[in-house]
Amino acid sequence: MRALLTITGKDLRQRLRDRSAYLYGLVVPLGLALLFGLIVPGFEDEELSLTVGVADLDGGQLADQFRSSLGSVGAIEEVTELPDAAAAERAVDEGELDAAYVLPEGFSAVGPRARPARLDVVVRVDDALPRHVAISIAEGFAQRRNTVAVALAMVASVSDGLEPDAVDRTSQIVARRPPAITLEQGTAGDDELDITTYLAAGMAVFFLFFTVQFGVLSLLEERENGTLDRLRVAPIRGRAILGAKVLTSVALGLVSMTVLVLATTVLLDARWGDPAGVAVLVVSGVLAASAIVAVVGALARTAEQASTWQAIIAIVLGMLGGSFFPLSDAPGWLEPLRKLSPHHWFLDGLGQLANGGGPTEALPATGALLAFAGAAGVLAAFLLPRARAA
Amino acid sequence: MRALAIARNTVSRFVRDRSNLFFVLVFPLALVLLLGLQFGGAQDLVLAFVAPDDDAARELVTDIGSREGIEVVQYQTRQDAVQGVSDNDADAALVLFPRHTDALQAGEATAEFITRPGGAGETLRPIVSEAVGRQAVVSTAAGAAAEVTGQPAERFVGAFPASADLPSAIDVLQVSVGGDGLGDDLGGLGRFELGASTQLVLFVFITSLTAAAGLIQERNLGLVTRMLSTPTRTREVIVGTALGRLGIALLQGVYIMVGAQVLFGVGWGHPVGALAILVVFSAVSAGAGMLLGTLARNDAQANGIGVGLGLGLAALGGSMVPLEVFPDTMRRVASITPHAWANRAFADLVRRDLGPSAIAPELAVLAAMAIALLAAAVWRLRQVTAAGS
Repeated sequence: MRALLTITGKDLRQRLRDRSAYLYGLVVPLGLALLFGLIVPGFEDEELSLTVGVADLDGGQLADQFRSSLGSVGAIEEVTELPDAAAAERAVDEGELDAAYVLPEGFSAVGPRARPARLDVVVRVDDALPRHVAISIAEGFAQRRNTVAVALAMVASVSDGLEPDAVDRTSQIVARRPPAITLEQGTAGDDELDITTYLAAGMAVFFLFFTVQFGVLSLLEERENGTLDRLRVAPIRGRAILGAKVLTSVALGLVSMTVLVLATTVLLDARWGDPAGVAVLVVSGVLAASAIVAVVGALARTAEQASTWQAIIAIVLGMLGGSFFPLSDAPGWLEPLRKLSPHHWFLDGLGQLANGGGPTEALPATGALLAFAGAAGVLAAFLLPRARAA
Repeated sequence: MRALAIARNTVSRFVRDRSNLFFVLVFPLALVLLLGLQFGGAQDLVLAFVAPDDDAARELVTDIGSREGIEVVQYQTRQDAVQGVSDNDADAALVLFPRHTDALQAGEATAEFITRPGGAGETLRPIVSEAVGRQAVVSTAAGAAAEVTGQPAERFVGAFPASADLPSAIDVLQVSVGGDGLGDDLGGLGRFELGASTQLVLFVFITSLTAAAGLIQERNLGLVTRMLSTPTRTREVIVGTALGRLGIALLQGVYIMVGAQVLFGVGWGHPVGALAILVVFSAVSAGAGMLLGTLARNDAQANGIGVGLGLGLAALGGSMVPLEVFPDTMRRVASITPHAWANRAFADLVRRDLGPSAIAPELAVLAAMAIALLAAAVWRLRQVTAAGS
């Protein structure tokens, strides 16, 4: 036991002096996470407040009614008067206004009419939310008058023409009636990570598979430069040597992940979820990564070969697991492949925690990660002694 | 022509290194594939609905479902639907309550529209509220007509279905402006096009940086000193080294271009323009790789810095998250990276179908970067060879 701890301590000290451990375990994932944090806008639930413009080319009563109705819409912060349609389009295009309404001449012409009045809503193609809200506002205004138009058409369909006061009567009746359907807003919690946390977590778990390499790689390096033989000659159990190497990997992985979780939470406002749940996921993830990396190392003939293969496995699993970008919208046939990646389960577990759930939400994902750790661990336990002896 | 011999040697050593097979050949195209599978392709939005089995409810759902780009999926309970939205199985949910038809006639119907904060479901809101609005209009109008004429409201509802072309007093029409951004361009794009050009930029640069390790090997093995001991002028060694680096970058670039075209049908826009971007960007990458090779002290350091810098600059330059999504300040900051200029140039060629003259500014900037980096690398290499390392 003491031998195991001594060797582990020595390996850790060696690694900490070697800057590459810091690079992959800390600098690069954190740097990338920070970069993404700057680049990707946070999709916060902002209070939408629009600045709109109105080009009233009509000046009639209906146009006035529309303009005053805008004043009572909560989402509208400011209404600007515009001279014409061209000015409206320019203002919206250049971002001065979120949207603009153009009321053409003849808008307010009263009476049952051949053609409906046009209400143009000028919006930017790229800004979905302002676009939707601006159009909904116009449609809301139109709805009541359209109801009257439909009612009149209905009345006309069973009478021989409309009585002179039909329009007024119908309008009054429609105005009296409440809207037939009230659409309420509900919110569903998010069982997915917000994008900043997702990218941070994706980078963290991706580089984890590089961080945990160092333990097993040192086994191969020592085999190559002869110190392994010397260790074996010493009164140290073979298992202690192997155990130390694996323990080094696990220790490095745990430290790296912990620092990344804390750093991204503080610096990026990343929300990893319930601490107990995150801790369990991190530990399972580190164990899975260490075990997989150990298997690869045990099969390789040289340290360089091991390093290359570990990188390949890390990249393939990382890609499939959604470490670089989510694969949630990919075709169904990709699903089984994604489930073969421990990265997928790590991110999935975090997603389950994101909804504010307790640590138990992450149990299925934890179970999957531990299964990876177990299977790979058994294989490694079988293969590593052979590697040591080689 | 010893310079060419040196270059050829560099490239062939790169090609023969089997560990490169995955990183240079498989990884880039695999990434383009996955990017296309995830982000490319038109996606139907999914609306979960919970509705009683009555006429008006069914009519409403059918109306929404008949729209292009929307798929409606039935759920049994509100709770299931909410979970479906949480799990991203559905983008939004519409819950109608029992006896919807009766409530509608009485003017008391309610419906609930459920979304995830920040999710794609918001795009469904106007469509749903419009459909709901139309049904409400018919119902209210029928009620009013019934009052005026004394005929039963159902008769009018039957004669004027909500999904039909209803008479209107005001037609709301959308006038779109702008369209400098992603949504507009992507309409005409093939599924894999966006990923292909951004990943080309990412990989040409990163491969050049990680290949810098080869240059360090040359230094460490004393190859450079040996080259200089032959009747080869220093200048030839330097030119050969630079050409070798350029060859590696071009190899990676051409491979991705051809591979993406053959495997995924990706178009690269005007051929002269595309090649011009490739050559100039490869020169930038070669310069960067060479500079790194003369600065780093060992393989591991070069690799670590190469990967870190390569990924970082790629992210900043719009090769991971598209530049159009960047906030304004970050978009300006991105211009310090060669990636941003190359990505913009490819966007002009591929997305906007422009010719080579349109990308002249980007090419000029890239050429300037290439000259600066190569000059710095050459200066460093001279220093290093003079010191006999």
